[in-house]
Amino acid sequence: MEASKNYRWSTLLTEVVMILVGLVFLVPFYFLFVNSVKTFGDLLSNSASWPKSFEWHNYSRAWSLTKFPSAFGNSLIITVISNLLLALFSSMAAYRMVRHDTRYNRFLFTIFVAAMVIPFQSIMIPLVKVTSWLELNDSIPGLIVCYLGFGVPLTVFLFHGFIKSIPLEIEEAARVDGTNIYGTFFRIVLPLMKPMFVTVIILNTLWIWNDYLLPSLMLQSPSLQTIPIATFAFFGQFMKQWDLALPALALGILPVIIFFLSMQKYIVEGITQGAVKG
Amino acid sequence: MKKRTKISLASMLALSVVLAGCGSKSDNNATGTETGGTGETKTVHIFQFKVEIAEALNKLKKDYEASHPGVKLDIQTVGGGSDYGAALKAKFASGEEPDIFNVGGYTDLNTWEPKLEDLSDQKWVSDMVDVSKDQITKDGKIYGQPMNLEGYGFVYNKDLFKKAGITEVPTTLTALEAAAKKLQDAGITPFVNGYQEGWIIGQHTLNVPFVHQKDPGAYIQGLNDGTQKFAGNAQMEEFMKLFDLTLKYGNKNPLTTDYNTEMTMFANGQAAMTQQGNWTQGQIDGITPNMNIGMLPMPINDDAKENDKLLVGVPNNWVVTKDSKVKAEAKEFLEWLVTSDQGKQYITKEFKFIPAFKSINATEEDLGALGAEVVKYSKEDKLLSWQFARFPGGAWNEFAGSMQAYIAGKSDKEKLFADLQKTWDNLKK
Amino acid sequence: MNRKKSSELLSQLVFVGPSTVFFLIIIVTPFLLGLYYSFTNWNGISGEVSWVGIDNFKQIITKDPDFGRAFWFTIRFTVVGIILANVLGFFLAYFLTKPLKTRNILRTIFFMPNVIGGLLLGFIWQFIFVKGFSAVGAATGWSFFNLPWLGDETTGFWGIIIVFIWQTAGYLMVIYISSINNIPKDIMEAAEIDGANKLQILKSIIMPLVMPAVTVCLFLAISWSFKMFDLNLSLTKGGPFRSTESVALNIYNEAFQNDRYGLGTAKAIIFFVVVAVITSLQVKFTKSKEVES
Repeated sequence: MEASKNYRWSTLLTEVVMILVGLVFLVPFYFLFVNSVKTFGDLLSNSASWPKSFEWHNYSRAWSLTKFPSAFGNSLIITVISNLLLALFSSMAAYRMVRHDTRYNRFLFTIFVAAMVIPFQSIMIPLVKVTSWLELNDSIPGLIVCYLGFGVPLTVFLFHGFIKSIPLEIEEAARVDGTNIYGTFFRIVLPLMKPMFVTVIILNTLWIWNDYLLPSLMLQSPSLQTIPIATFAFFGQFMKQWDLALPALALGILPVIIFFLSMQKYIVEGITQGAVKG
Repeated sequence: MKKRTKISLASMLALSVVLAGCGSKSDNNATGTETGGTGETKTVHIFQFKVEIAEALNKLKKDYEASHPGVKLDIQTVGGGSDYGAALKAKFASGEEPDIFNVGGYTDLNTWEPKLEDLSDQKWVSDMVDVSKDQITKDGKIYGQPMNLEGYGFVYNKDLFKKAGITEVPTTLTALEAAAKKLQDAGITPFVNGYQEGWIIGQHTLNVPFVHQKDPGAYIQGLNDGTQKFAGNAQMEEFMKLFDLTLKYGNKNPLTTDYNTEMTMFANGQAAMTQQGNWTQGQIDGITPNMNIGMLPMPINDDAKENDKLLVGVPNNWVVTKDSKVKAEAKEFLEWLVTSDQGKQYITKEFKFIPAFKSINATEEDLGALGAEVVKYSKEDKLLSWQFARFPGGAWNEFAGSMQAYIAGKSDKEKLFADLQKTWDNLKK
Repeated sequence: MNRKKSSELLSQLVFVGPSTVFFLIIIVTPFLLGLYYSFTNWNGISGEVSWVGIDNFKQIITKDPDFGRAFWFTIRFTVVGIILANVLGFFLAYFLTKPLKTRNILRTIFFMPNVIGGLLLGFIWQFIFVKGFSAVGAATGWSFFNLPWLGDETTGFWGIIIVFIWQTAGYLMVIYISSINNIPKDIMEAAEIDGANKLQILKSIIMPLVMPAVTVCLFLAISWSFKMFDLNLSLTKGGPFRSTESVALNIYNEAFQNDRYGLGTAKAIIFFVVVAVITSLQVKFTKSKEVES
């Protein structure tokens, strides 16, 4: 009843405008798609036009040259594990920092926040020195450790802000009932943070899935290649093999789009829950 | 509902830990066999940047391992073009130094020399073509094996030249201007300039006045110790006429023209000439197969004999790490590459390189029209070298910026020379 | 008492320990090593590293106008970029919390630019600016598309801004959406019953209540735009004539192209200090505007 009453002309107008803006946002994807099925010559000569013929074998060539199943598997393992550990450790740290606002924790939080603005390029050489001392190079677990280190500041920062908005009373009630601090966190606070978990996981997934520089420094073995590294193999010193790079790129972003679409339900759900609670 | 989410979360975590465990285990195995120290199999680690030959190298690896039992090649190619130097430095910083890698001549050689093995005693050194020697020599020692030769000049469209009524190949500045004018009168854009790309303008274009010096080495030495300048140098002044000519008869918006656009315009016949080298053959073939093309010299004055030369150099060298544990095997591999029939076959047929060795012959069929033109000029010894490898490290990037400012009308000739001078003084070692 | 203390210590370790350890290993240690290099003349390769004291810092401040120019470019870019990205992100969120029929699909569309990583994204956009725009320009004759995109200072600057906004607005939108949805419905309804119009609701209810999200979004956008590297490298490489060179790219070039790693890290340290000061001021400022919800 509400919806039909609210759906007025102005809403329709908004809808039309938003759809137009949405189309503008999709333009680069149009370029990505139409050019991914053109021959090399056609792609460079007629970049904006609809393909004359559909060269689907660009995709099969890109699939086999990037060894896509293996690259996909590596990217998936790295992204999933880094994400879960990152969300777990960061939410714990953020919870402690908010609820136990000591001078030490405040200092630590400040350092975390400050570290977010360090440009990666400026520490990459010392970083590989450190990781080789610890024998983290050329292994997937080693790369995951790096993602944990780089991801902790932002993730803690986001959880920190969210936990502050959770009313203390719920936890206090639990504590009075005799639940210890671990039980309180895992059974009471963690479920309340679901919306933030969704946000954090989306943000970190996008970053880790697409990252090029860090895996290119850390992973040497061809069998450990991730999707971005495999895609970049089409960019040479002079020549960019767009007819292979674009299909590889399309293959690489497809899983993320599917992931996002399937997560969207949870986002909406998580947000509604948050709204009810607020 | 809640319970189920928790269980699935927990099982996912458990699964991922297991997966990670598997991953690390298999890694350990892999490194174990590599460095296991039983002396059975030795692995030569090769770290290279030529994406174009990565596939062929994988094939080569199989052939080589089959004919050399006990030796394995581990070949890693770094994509993305400009990141090779950074990736290489990271490799060395992490202590996982490759056994064979790529180093450019002159300045790059100076930077890396402390890490490099002296290769002067290798068999193939006497077979190197003359133009490839100087760039990889330091204190009389040869430190690397030239990968290949590359040559550039003005790549031109012979059909468009004919259409404009140009019968003679221009080898002087005046003739070039006359040809450009004829093309323009025939409604053809004479030049397409890819001046958005730093390496085109800051390395290849600016190389021209340096290489026309009486003694390029002495001029560069003079720049380093302050006895020579950009401003007032005769060849610099002459070069500006050529530079201005390409701009006057060039496509509009040279600063938005990147390499891809440049080559597409040329290959589609939208311009008659472009400053490029034999490496563009593949790109051109991809757009217009069997194009009727050739390569012209880049004249800065009207001395035909002095100017009828292409600019040929060694883009990169294979070098061996001094501290490598498999030095002997690494050297053996490089020797095999340029002395065995199979290795030579790879260089000409698979990599499609212009060989930098006298005993290796490549045909026009292997190289395409542009490569053949370079070979022809080098057989006649009509060559000018690549001096841009002598520029101070990173300077080409800043030179490119100064020259782009000139094109955009932000500076004039005097200011351009002053800017180039400032960059040189700042970056010289 | 003692037992309580040790259990407190234990829970501090359990909760904060793992994050701190990874953070110390991966960021703090390399950063401190970098700090050391900034006082040396290391070229990034050789075994020789000699201490040069504050020479690097002196050189950067006294005779490196390019670094100053890169800084100025980054600041202009940051100011323009974060304002536009946040305004767009907020309005997308505002309209997409209305009962539109295509709401969910539009949310996905606006978010989609984030699924492409920075370097590749830059390459694709470079392709669009150079090839696509000129094709559109030739077809329509609109002068906007016939500008020399990425070929002069102005179009280079705005080109990067366009791509930056295109990518970040959707990301910020997600955060704004969750924040707007968190506003209690009864407050909005009460305001509507009191006869407040849309603009008034937007100004006096929504805006103040999303201030916490604004803090987060501004902070995120600032830290991205200050660190911008991938886009810059793949879109313009800092050109033409180094007019669009960001600080991160300048540092990278100094360390890896010019083989002056010590000088490059010294620049990174200066940059870090400046950005840390700016962002902490920003957080302080917006925090003071937040309303307890």
